[in-house]
Amino acid sequence: MTLMQADRRPATRAEGNHGTVEARSAPGPAAGTLCLKVMETPNAPNPEAAAPPSTSADVNRRLGALLGQIANGDQAAFAEFYQLTSRRVFGMARRVLIDAELSEDTTQEVFLQVWQNAAKFNADAGSPLAWLMTISHRRAVDKVRSSQSSTDREARYGASSQEIDHDSVSDEVGSKLEAEAVVRCLDTLTDTQQESVRLAYYGGLTYREVAERLNAAVPTIKSRIRDGLIRLKTCLGVS
Amino acid sequence: MNDMNPQNSGRTPGSFSADIASDLSSGRAVDLAEVYALHALDDAERTAVDRYLAEAQPAERAEFEERVRQARETLTMSFSAEEEPPAGLFDRIVAALPAQAAGPADVAPPAPAAPPVVARPVREHPEHAVTDELSAARQRRDERRRPQGMRNWLIGVAAAAAIAVGGVGVGAYVANQNDPLNQVLQAGDVRKATVDVIGGGTASLTLSSSKDAVVVKMNGVPAPPAGKVYQMWLIPKDGSAPVSKGLMDAEALSKPAVVTGIGSAAALGITVEPVGGSKTPTMPTVAAAPLGA
Repeated sequence: MTLMQADRRPATRAEGNHGTVEARSAPGPAAGTLCLKVMETPNAPNPEAAAPPSTSADVNRRLGALLGQIANGDQAAFAEFYQLTSRRVFGMARRVLIDAELSEDTTQEVFLQVWQNAAKFNADAGSPLAWLMTISHRRAVDKVRSSQSSTDREARYGASSQEIDHDSVSDEVGSKLEAEAVVRCLDTLTDTQQESVRLAYYGGLTYREVAERLNAAVPTIKSRIRDGLIRLKTCLGVS
Repeated sequence: MNDMNPQNSGRTPGSFSADIASDLSSGRAVDLAEVYALHALDDAERTAVDRYLAEAQPAERAEFEERVRQARETLTMSFSAEEEPPAGLFDRIVAALPAQAAGPADVAPPAPAAPPVVARPVREHPEHAVTDELSAARQRRDERRRPQGMRNWLIGVAAAAAIAVGGVGVGAYVANQNDPLNQVLQAGDVRKATVDVIGGGTASLTLSSSKDAVVVKMNGVPAPPAGKVYQMWLIPKDGSAPVSKGLMDAEALSKPAVVTGIGSAAALGITVEPVGGSKTPTMPTVAAAPLGA
């Protein structure tokens, strides 16, 4: 986050070629009158242009091969598996648990489980990434339920949900097209479906807790989760 | 295909019961697959579903498992938050491998074909091999847990070396996995701005038109009052209602947030709202910035 340093001294900081413009508001309610001007900087070439395509299918193929090697005790394969996936595991744990140490513990437990259970991975039962993220989510949810009251989790949900929308999906493992499909497909869910699925996934809430949080009937929440995920699945073409 | 109806059967949607036992006894087990995959059942309910499935007809069980599989793939594709884990975590993981496998805290049964931890036996008496303070500290720590401390440590060293060279072949994947935050911060066309927040502190904005996003970082902004959160909004250019772009509680304040969709927005606003957020902003804003693209 070093690029995001606080800068309250406009006269003494030039910010290179970027125009940093301070908007000083008089204290008072009329913040909308803040006069902030954002200065344009010359466009630079898109640094992403050279990035090779990597679809989730490519990544899953590689992860599947690595799991086979890990099952034979191959530590280099384990290292590569970690390198390819640890950002996902830790990122999800952070969303669910918020706490950095708990998230680190969870990530550690997940990869220990990968090492121990790589031989049990069954490609017929799902992709390697789904296998991993299922383990990860289970661990994170167990931990959050044992360490935090549901009230805490509900209160924290707001914080963890801020990037779920169309933000964090835009550059995930996989190609731009896949990411765009996720954005498009999430939009086909009703707001209440999205909300219910997200509260359960990143909030670590049970359907009953989701119902309480949203002040909705329990059967309704079960339906929203089922219908939302089925709709998402259909839109994404998961088969 | 995007209608509300589940496509698995002719059952009417929305006809769940209030409790899982009733769902199961009324033949709705398969419709619980998504809730099950989402880990949204409590432990007792999950056990009840597992028990039901163990006794169920193979066809019903297979249908349930297929729906769970698809739901898991869907969730994995759709919820893809990424964050860099702490440096050194991998080393600690590898150092803990064998001890953890035997650890009583780990409820997962070890794989029947548990992989060998090392290719050949390693001396079990660490005191002979300790050569420096770091490994001595590690040894002491590991000895508290397992008698195999040194062996673990050796594996850690080996795997740390492996990660240094082993990752080269797949660097392309990794390089392409930058999180959205860094994608914006490192975009070629970033513009920066800082606005004061009423109540104290500032909000730094880093905008990228090519990424259609702005990174918002609060600096020295006081925590919201009890029962309140900060809520971020985009005010659309077309005059339509402000769109919520997420909440920030006291904890989230320290972290930068990515707000996307700025291309169609005239301004970014931040308000103070009750915990859980509001549908529409409660004026006045505590900070606002025209995005002026």
